[in-house]
Amino acid sequence: MTGDRTPQHPRGGDEAAGANQGWVALSYLIGGIAVWGFVGWLIDRWLHTGGIATAIGAVLGAAGGVYLIVRRLAPHAEGKR
Amino acid sequence: MTTQLLVPRTDFPPDVREFFTPAFFNDALYPWLTKFTFYVWISVALLIIFFLVAYRNPKMVPTRMQWMAESIYNFNRENVAKGMIGHEGVKFAPYLTTLFCFILLTNLYGIVPGIQISPNAHIAFPAFLAVISYVLFNYVGIRKHGFVKYFRIALIPPAPWYILPILIPIEFASTFIFRPFTLALRLFANMFAGHMILLVFTLGGFALLGANSWFIKPVSLVSWAMALALTGLEALIIVLQAYVFVILTSSYVGGALAEEH
Repeated sequence: MTGDRTPQHPRGGDEAAGANQGWVALSYLIGGIAVWGFVGWLIDRWLHTGGIATAIGAVLGAAGGVYLIVRRLAPHAEGKR
Repeated sequence: MTTQLLVPRTDFPPDVREFFTPAFFNDALYPWLTKFTFYVWISVALLIIFFLVAYRNPKMVPTRMQWMAESIYNFNRENVAKGMIGHEGVKFAPYLTTLFCFILLTNLYGIVPGIQISPNAHIAFPAFLAVISYVLFNYVGIRKHGFVKYFRIALIPPAPWYILPILIPIEFASTFIFRPFTLALRLFANMFAGHMILLVFTLGGFALLGANSWFIKPVSLVSWAMALALTGLEALIIVLQAYVFVILTSSYVGGALAEEH
């Protein structure tokens, strides 16, 4: 799979683009956990559920973040920027 | 003790007050004109003079100065602007070069003897640079795609509709909230930590020298050797952070200009 990978984008390609993709991946992962963890925390405060909604939100957000990383950054992803 | 004379004015465990430099010339000017303001003015003046002189009388076979200026510009144009944005990136090359040189020069104060604190160790300067980048990438994106289409590309990833409610808030947070914050914090924290580390080892040397035990006094030499070695590390970080800042700015601009797929 790696051998015949044709560069879809002439731009970047080297370390610069690699480092940039790393930052993007990191921001999706942390963003997912932070956003949905925060929503869960709000629900916890509202319903007094004692932390369970925060946990669910963080896991859900991490899953969403991983999904976005795969979709946006995989070599042949359709939504690649 | 004689060593008492050598002890600097600041207390040994350095704290955040070290980062609030005093007013320049006159206390009445605080906080409008501090040492930081003065350093920033000097770097801006140096940059203007450097590029004016270097390009004043361009030759086919460049002089040393012209060669330096051309190398810096070429690096930003080819590797950063064209590399990250594509052929449209050329028109951003002047801004990216200016940004790179400005951050590099202001960071450099962190290891200049006698100054040894970078204005970027104060959150205001990185924060404003991040605001400029933030406004820039959103502006070029909106100008190219139009308001609605720009946000549709930025916020709606290619995914089945039932996952979108989870993904759109993540996209929104990572693009429009975390980007400017991480851009500013990365530069600020690196410069802040660098200054703090140098302070700890330099002042730590004086603290060890002032110790009562003669077994501890020589250890101050180790502390100062560490301060020297870490100055070398700082030199690396200074260049790296300037590079990372322009790379990420150009990558955000490139992302805003990208067509949907």
